[in-house]
Amino acid sequence: MSRTVLVAKDASFGYDKNSILSNVSFEVNSGECLGILGPNGAGKTTLFRGLLGVAPPIRGKVVRHTKRIGYVPQQGHMDPAWPLSTLELVHMGAFARLRGLRRLTGLSREDRRLAEANLRLVDLWEERRTPIAVLSGGQRQRVLIARALMAAPELLLLDEPTAGVDKPNQQVIFELLKNLIDSADRKPGAAKPAVLLVAHELTWITQITRNVLWVEAGRVRLIPTDQVASNLSASNHFFSEAAHG
Amino acid sequence: MGDLPLDLIWELFGYSILAALVAGLVVPLVGSFLLVRRTGFYGVTLPQFAAAGVSFGFVALPWWQTHMSWLLDAESLGDESHLALGYHLQWAGLFTMAGLIGMTLASKKDGLEAGRVAASFAIASAMTILFSHASPVGEIYVHSLLKGEILAIDGHELGALAGTLALVAVLLAFFRRELTLASYDPDLAVVLGKRSKAWEALLMLLVGTTVSVSVMTVGPAVLFGLLVIPPLVARPHAKSMAAFLLLSSTIGVLSAAAGVWASFHFDQPLGPTLVAASALFLPASAVATRCRG
Repeated sequence: MSRTVLVAKDASFGYDKNSILSNVSFEVNSGECLGILGPNGAGKTTLFRGLLGVAPPIRGKVVRHTKRIGYVPQQGHMDPAWPLSTLELVHMGAFARLRGLRRLTGLSREDRRLAEANLRLVDLWEERRTPIAVLSGGQRQRVLIARALMAAPELLLLDEPTAGVDKPNQQVIFELLKNLIDSADRKPGAAKPAVLLVAHELTWITQITRNVLWVEAGRVRLIPTDQVASNLSASNHFFSEAAHG
Repeated sequence: MGDLPLDLIWELFGYSILAALVAGLVVPLVGSFLLVRRTGFYGVTLPQFAAAGVSFGFVALPWWQTHMSWLLDAESLGDESHLALGYHLQWAGLFTMAGLIGMTLASKKDGLEAGRVAASFAIASAMTILFSHASPVGEIYVHSLLKGEILAIDGHELGALAGTLALVAVLLAFFRRELTLASYDPDLAVVLGKRSKAWEALLMLLVGTTVSVSVMTVGPAVLFGLLVIPPLVARPHAKSMAAFLLLSSTIGVLSAAAGVWASFHFDQPLGPTLVAASALFLPASAVATRCRG
């Protein structure tokens, strides 16, 4: 059954009390997949961080009706100085459940099994001992998706999951996300997660979302995806710019 | 000293040898976090702040004896050696924490962080020299600390060092996952309901405590070397965070053991010899990395 997992009400987002986005209001229900789109520099990342809870709104409110939140950052933001193995990175996703002596002994058996299942899902179990710094961009992004799944998320937020990833791996990641969104239907009792996705690839967005949050000129509008696709004459400029860096 | 029998060496310098080994075991664990957080420069600058604090302690001693005599009651605090350690430790800790807080809070957005840390080092060095100059006794003591003459460590100092570093090691082992998470991906820490800033503060507290106590006992030179070199040697060979910490600590202990042996064999000050022994791992590590391709 569908339920509301995220609500933004008259929220303004920005930095140092300077508002970049104002009066943002919308709701996201479980099973819903929303794209976050807009020109470069319009405030997509600001909105994303606000919804995530990392940079709370400077006015209004954002309410997350679940603690099971999966977060997938851009793989390029991961610092290669840290000698983390693939498995260690995935385990991080379950650190919310570390309490008492578990801090010393590490994750529970169930969480270790879940980590194995998630790494198999992204086809990287064989690389579990490989340092993440030596994985390709696409592999790193898949590991980050596996890490987000450790929360068994009811709300999954992804920040440009194909940024810095080659074309074949972009397709792999797209298929993976599509399967994730669809597969929850096949698990008895499992609710479909709500998914929010910052992306530049409009072809993707049209395949997996019905609505997008369009971010432009300090405003956020919830519009049908086909409306974005059919009014691309101006936006194409931005997307092609973004695609070419 | 190379001709002394082993049992006599142990009797005379046992505390110093144990202090070097304990520092070699634990200090690189703290340094490992500094290195991967890209704050390795802190490993050089913070001990200098602690040394400035120690030399300031000598300048402040006359005033302290007059106005804070109730705090300097040797009878209630144990013997004089214990008292002196506690007195200088407070200044080393105060200066280290002040330096640490200043460097941590300074803006990182303008890309000038390395410059600020370098400036902090210059300021702390100047303060050490100026404060030492103002107190002849302090000058001799601080010079000995900087030179790395750690052979005169007594039971109190070893006890303070071992007790403090044992606590630091236990806390690092217990909270290493949260400390790693908060340093590596603070956004995820917030999403998972962890207090990212609190974990970061705990890490900084562990760094400050380690530096303050170690400077007072093994001196800045040994601390520089053990904070920075073993993690730097270990990093290219570690395939996981757990392996990295283990390898750093192992290299630290091996450096301490080799330093102790070379110091007695070649009759050199223990502190710098230990750092030199540690530095020998750097070319060996580079060769191993190159051979592995």
